[in-house]
Amino acid sequence: METTPTNEEQQPITAPPAPIAERLAYSVQESADMLGINYYTMYRLIQRQKIKTCRVLRGKLLVPRTELLQLLQTELR
Amino acid sequence: MKHCERPTQLEETANAEAMTVFAEQTKQFNAHCKAVHHVEANLATLGNTAFHAALELSGRAIQANDGTKWQHGVDLMENTSICHRRTGADLEFGVIEYMPMKSGEAKNALMNSDHSVRELLKTFVRDERQLLGIWKNDIVEQVKEHLAEKYPNQDMSIVAGSFEIKLARAISEKSTLAQNHSRGMRI
Repeated sequence: METTPTNEEQQPITAPPAPIAERLAYSVQESADMLGINYYTMYRLIQRQKIKTCRVLRGKLLVPRTELLQLLQTELR
Repeated sequence: MKHCERPTQLEETANAEAMTVFAEQTKQFNAHCKAVHHVEANLATLGNTAFHAALELSGRAIQANDGTKWQHGVDLMENTSICHRRTGADLEFGVIEYMPMKSGEAKNALMNSDHSVRELLKTFVRDERQLLGIWKNDIVEQVKEHLAEKYPNQDMSIVAGSFEIKLARAISEKSTLAQNHSRGMRI
């Protein structure tokens, strides 16, 4: 007797994709893109010291992930 | 002295490539420079318009993220406006940035406030100029990093230098020295 294959038989089970590694810090542009705000808004927040940044040696500005999470949770003043 | 030499073919190529890579950033940077220049050039008009709007107590209601309530006065630039409110017998002015975010939430960030609209505008322009300086330096550092990765062991300081001059020129609107300092690099 013929049996109908189940979905599990038709489609091999694949492991869920590995979570994307969360970086510790992002460039200003990446941060702006992630939040969906203008680049100048990010630099405004930096200029007004509402967001702390760091640098690798004397290189470009990096925004720590914790700062972005904090920005989403707190009031801006 | 290298400043007298013409850029090499490799430097020209690197410059053209970097201009493409950083096109979006420089476009946004230049647009913001123009917006700041527009505010600077129209400081008196913007101040008067904001002041009259405040006297009439007109304008749509805006609640800032700190809970204070304002009325819209005049737009300064995209998503940024002067607002006003009564505080006792006085008028208070504030610069508020509307920030629509990807999360769906929108913030009304109160940037500065002052009882004098003139002082408020002066502070706003000073802060925006500082912002442009931070932004310029950050782009230049990104360009340097990009060039170091793409052209290891090559001196590409002239390319990074040409970017710096171009961005500084956009801030100051002065272009007289750019050609001399960039050894004829097309910037």
